Amino acid sequence: MNAAEDPGILSQGSLEGVARVVAVQGDQVWVEPEQGGSCGGCASAANCGSKGIGTLASRLEGRRFFLEREDGDGLGELRVGERLVITFGEQSVSAVALLAYGLPLVGALSAAVFTQELAGRDGYTLLAAIAGLGLGFALMKIVAGRLKARGRLTPRVVRRLSSAAILSSGH
Amino acid sequence: MREYLLMMVSAALVNNVILARFLGLCSFLGVTTRVDTALGMGVATTFVITVSSMADWAVETWLLEPHGLLYLRTVTFILVIAAAVQFTEMTVRKLSPALFQMLGIYLPLITTNCAVLGVALLLVEGRMSFLNSVLFAFFSSLGYSLVMVIFAGLRERLALADAPRLFAGPPLAFITASLLALAFMGFSGISA
Repeated sequence: MNAAEDPGILSQGSLEGVARVVAVQGDQVWVEPEQGGSCGGCASAANCGSKGIGTLASRLEGRRFFLEREDGDGLGELRVGERLVITFGEQSVSAVALLAYGLPLVGALSAAVFTQELAGRDGYTLLAAIAGLGLGFALMKIVAGRLKARGRLTPRVVRRLSSAAILSSGH
Repeated sequence: MREYLLMMVSAALVNNVILARFLGLCSFLGVTTRVDTALGMGVATTFVITVSSMADWAVETWLLEPHGLLYLRTVTFILVIAAAVQFTEMTVRKLSPALFQMLGIYLPLITTNCAVLGVALLLVEGRMSFLNSVLFAFFSSLGYSLVMVIFAGLRERLALADAPRLFAGPPLAFITASLLALAFMGFSGISA
């Protein structure tokens, strides 16, 4: 994807991402996020057709999710292979990353430091860090559940990219 | 406390993963178009580096070293890191699918990149205790995140600058990165 097509660069307001339509079932549209790895090599590896366990392609497949079409969304008929610009509104990606990864990390580090001070043995510290990680994940689940209930984590299609940008997938 | 402070300065600034050790350059150039995304990527990488350092320390201390299998270190670490990344993704996906969706659309997949492996190898070379290893990994990844955010901020401003056509885009990014590396070289004067 070149810079001109990257909505994340162009949009000055809420952050937007690109996803490709992989299936349309009634009002449900299944999409797959378009990013590959953090470098061009990883991205091209995701498209090379190898889909074994743990490959980038299989992991991208695991990231698929569906969007509910709404009446009057103005998107018209969507086709497989089409690219959509998706946003999660005002929710910032850094805040979500802090919630998903920051909380468990803080839990693990706090538990490790605390146990090291108390017990002073590496084995106990490791066990405490794992327990702290679990506690952090549990806390993350609670907070994420509340955010979801408020509708802060609901994806929304902003627009479809131009037909010229449709991937060459035979559609 | 002073020991941890010195470790933080040393790992995050003096021996910065990106600008002093030149690791993780692909994400440094690939995910720094916006500050928000760079910070998100920094947090995700911090988590992966720290959690893998825990697993790597345990594998090194209780498996590789006692059984004389140190020649398998690199291969084993790659497997451990890949497993840690998979485990993290599966956990977040299971606990909060909505959160996983949002991260999936904005953040690239973290694989066994050189920064994660590099930090893991550095900490076992240092023969530190478990807590020191984990804190070293955490501070190193904080340095990584710091540079990612600074560079993304600079690139956001440069995107609006009236640069000559031949310099616009990657050339300007490379020049900015080199200037940033020069600035960080100043920290090497600090004897930590």
